[in-house]
Amino acid sequence: MIKLTIDSRTIEIEEGTTLLEAAKRAGIYIPTLCYHEALTPIGSCRVCIVEVASNGKSGLTAACTYPVEPGLKVITNSEKVSEARRLALELLLAQHPHSVRIQRLAQKLGVNPPPFTLEEKECILCQLCTRTCREIVGASAISFISPGLGRENNEAQIEVSQIKCIACGSCCYACPTQAISMEDSGDTRTICTPSGQMEFKLKRCNNCGRYWAPQKQLEYMAEKSGLELAAFDLCTDCRD
Amino acid sequence: MDRVTFSSWAGNVVDNRGLDFGKFSAVDNLELPLGYDGYRVAAFMSWNGLVMADDGVNVVDMARSYLTEVKKLACGRCTIGYSGIRVMSDTLNRISGGQGKPEDTDLLGSLAAAISDSSKCDFCALAVKPVLDSLKYYQDVYTGLVTRKKAAPKSVYIIKITAPCMEACPAHQDIPGYIELIENRRYTEALEVIRQTNCFPGTTGRACVAFCEDNCVRNDIDSPLAIRALKRVPADHEAASGLTPVPGRAGESRQKVAVIGAGPAGLAASYSLALKGYQVTVFDEQPAAGGMLSTGIPQYRLPGDVLTRETNIVERLGIEIRPNIKIGSDIKLEQLSQQGFKAVFIATGAHLSRDAGIDNWNERYEGLVQGIKFLREANRGKKIEPRDRVLIVGGGNTAIDCARTCLRLGFKEVTIVYRRSRTEMPARDEEVEAAEKEGVNIHFLAVPTRIITENSRVTAAECIKMELGEPDASGRRRPVPVKGSEFILETDMVLPAIGELPDVSFTKNRVELTDWGGIKVAPSQQTSQPTVFAGGDCVTGPATIIEAVAAGNRAAASIDQYLKQGSITPDQMASLLHQVALDRQRDGGIVAKSQRQSPEELPPAERVLNFNEVEKCLTAEAATEEAGRCLRCYRVMLLAVNEGE
Repeated sequence: MIKLTIDSRTIEIEEGTTLLEAAKRAGIYIPTLCYHEALTPIGSCRVCIVEVASNGKSGLTAACTYPVEPGLKVITNSEKVSEARRLALELLLAQHPHSVRIQRLAQKLGVNPPPFTLEEKECILCQLCTRTCREIVGASAISFISPGLGRENNEAQIEVSQIKCIACGSCCYACPTQAISMEDSGDTRTICTPSGQMEFKLKRCNNCGRYWAPQKQLEYMAEKSGLELAAFDLCTDCRD
Repeated sequence: MDRVTFSSWAGNVVDNRGLDFGKFSAVDNLELPLGYDGYRVAAFMSWNGLVMADDGVNVVDMARSYLTEVKKLACGRCTIGYSGIRVMSDTLNRISGGQGKPEDTDLLGSLAAAISDSSKCDFCALAVKPVLDSLKYYQDVYTGLVTRKKAAPKSVYIIKITAPCMEACPAHQDIPGYIELIENRRYTEALEVIRQTNCFPGTTGRACVAFCEDNCVRNDIDSPLAIRALKRVPADHEAASGLTPVPGRAGESRQKVAVIGAGPAGLAASYSLALKGYQVTVFDEQPAAGGMLSTGIPQYRLPGDVLTRETNIVERLGIEIRPNIKIGSDIKLEQLSQQGFKAVFIATGAHLSRDAGIDNWNERYEGLVQGIKFLREANRGKKIEPRDRVLIVGGGNTAIDCARTCLRLGFKEVTIVYRRSRTEMPARDEEVEAAEKEGVNIHFLAVPTRIITENSRVTAAECIKMELGEPDASGRRRPVPVKGSEFILETDMVLPAIGELPDVSFTKNRVELTDWGGIKVAPSQQTSQPTVFAGGDCVTGPATIIEAVAAGNRAAASIDQYLKQGSITPDQMASLLHQVALDRQRDGGIVAKSQRQSPEELPPAERVLNFNEVEKCLTAEAATEEAGRCLRCYRVMLLAVNEGE
């Protein structure tokens, strides 16, 4: 067990816990945007910034990625913390002013529209989609591309591989800003992503005839489970 | 750079503005070039501060130019860094263009402070520091532009981008770049990035000494990135998928270039020259390509098929490799130009064993073999009868390779005798540890002085104990014999592995040599003969794979320049700023400690039974996790220059 203080409260918690989880369990609110308990935290949105001090060194860090340390002093509500969170949210708002999620979070933290503008983009690069696809679905179809030395792209972006994508749509649910969306129409599922639009064939239920799931997703499930593809001939409603 | 009027380098502020030159304080924590390519260096801006020497340079325009480069590298992994840098860049463009608003300098200040304090990794956090300094110490310049609505005068800027790891790597590979691609499992692109400077990703992913890791900023936080192991991941993936890389050719010169030696230096130069369109012929005295990579590195560290695959990739660019040809006897060096070769690159390595200075030395004795020869024969699969006991002399990687090879051949008692102590051992720590785990004994602070034989057969070595004295030229403490401490070590075999020397007798004094017998070259790898270039171990003495690769790359670039322009312009910026860029001092936000991912290894008891590869490849999952530890410490270095030296 590790003993630390968060906002002057002494907390005892298992090693390996992150500051965010520790605060949560102690009932201390830390706002988040790119965090999801089922996924590896990456500290992308910087909304969960807190102040930490240990061994005479102090500074800001993301609570979601920082593990508890013995004797650590954590402050979640200082002026410095509020200022950093405000800027992070202002930057997010500038990038995607129409996102309801971001607007609500700004409202909750009392952050006003920013005094600057940015090129508007729906994707805020939070990587909830890349992590969901890699860690939950297992398809690793979405990757994150940074600009780098000698690379032509000057903008960071996510890229969805149509070859690896199984059309399950998990990324659409994970995306906080509707940068990825999908629509089923007839025998086709269309997924719109920042890197382009993709179409996938849906499979018809052998009994009721409705299109009920993407063909590629069913093939993926058959392969993962070791079942025959025929096991997915019927839709979930028509199975007993 | 002299007459520095202001410096904030490394947080050490020297402000000479308004003083007479005679009263200037010196800036002693940074050495910058005075001039560059006919220009006078007027100011410098980089991750650790701002240095001004000429009041003619407008600091706002310099910050604008600097941040434009920073913006191109901001990775997008955190909002503060990525979007914050974008807003800062827009704001600086506005101010320097004479369109600034009164609130702009405050906005810049608060953004820069937030980026510096709460970015996810080092790149943006450190990149904004000089801009913060400019805001703090040159606020009048900012407000002047805003109130007068005047555009800032522009200077000429020279930019270099590096990172502590890239600077430590002799080949200056774009390490943060390929690590990021590996994290996202974009292996084909990762290999494209690696192959721009290193045509041996699978080989160096296994056997590189990894200078980069020694200079990784994570050394000061937890432990360095496993860069070498990460590099192997895309290489193994490519090999396992049976993919064949198709590198794009960058040029179309049809001139012929000869390369002597198909080792890492020769092949790296060939690869690079072929990509520039040259017709390359490689001569090698051995029956197969690879040089020291094939004869000097045991299979358990570098399996033959990995190397063969990579030499094939080089060959597939249309390079002709002519094995079993010894330059000097089969073809004379001077004949190459008659055969139409416009330039020659000598990369013949270092294969002559150094004199071990041991009495009663006679290579006809049974049980006395040079370590490097022993390794070559073992690597070629020659049948070697194991003995009970073997003594290996030396403390370098060849000695360790000999010892571990002996164990695998079935030798019962393997002992290394090294004249200094563990800390001075030139062999890589992990290699020494692996050898010890496998059961190699190391006898420190002793050296064999005489071979003892019976009927021309080695039975023992007389050794003497050593103690460490004053440091020598290499900075290591010099071993001094302890009088009267002689002792006998019984053995059936002695393998001296104390270093190799190049054999460049085939050059017949057509090129200048160094006093110890290596080929003398300029930093461009050019020898005293303008059309003859040299690199690798024949220039440096026994060194590392990556140094050889780097020399090959450099030679290729120089040959290309020489054949196109008739002269070579050295990359002054690169060498001038090398020292500045090596510094890995960090002062970014607080980074959480993390666990380095190490590849699995065969257990010692199992691995000494055969020559199977000891180290496994990192899994894709472990590689993603490990790559995610990269702090992406790219550094943008910007020099402002004025006309006239």
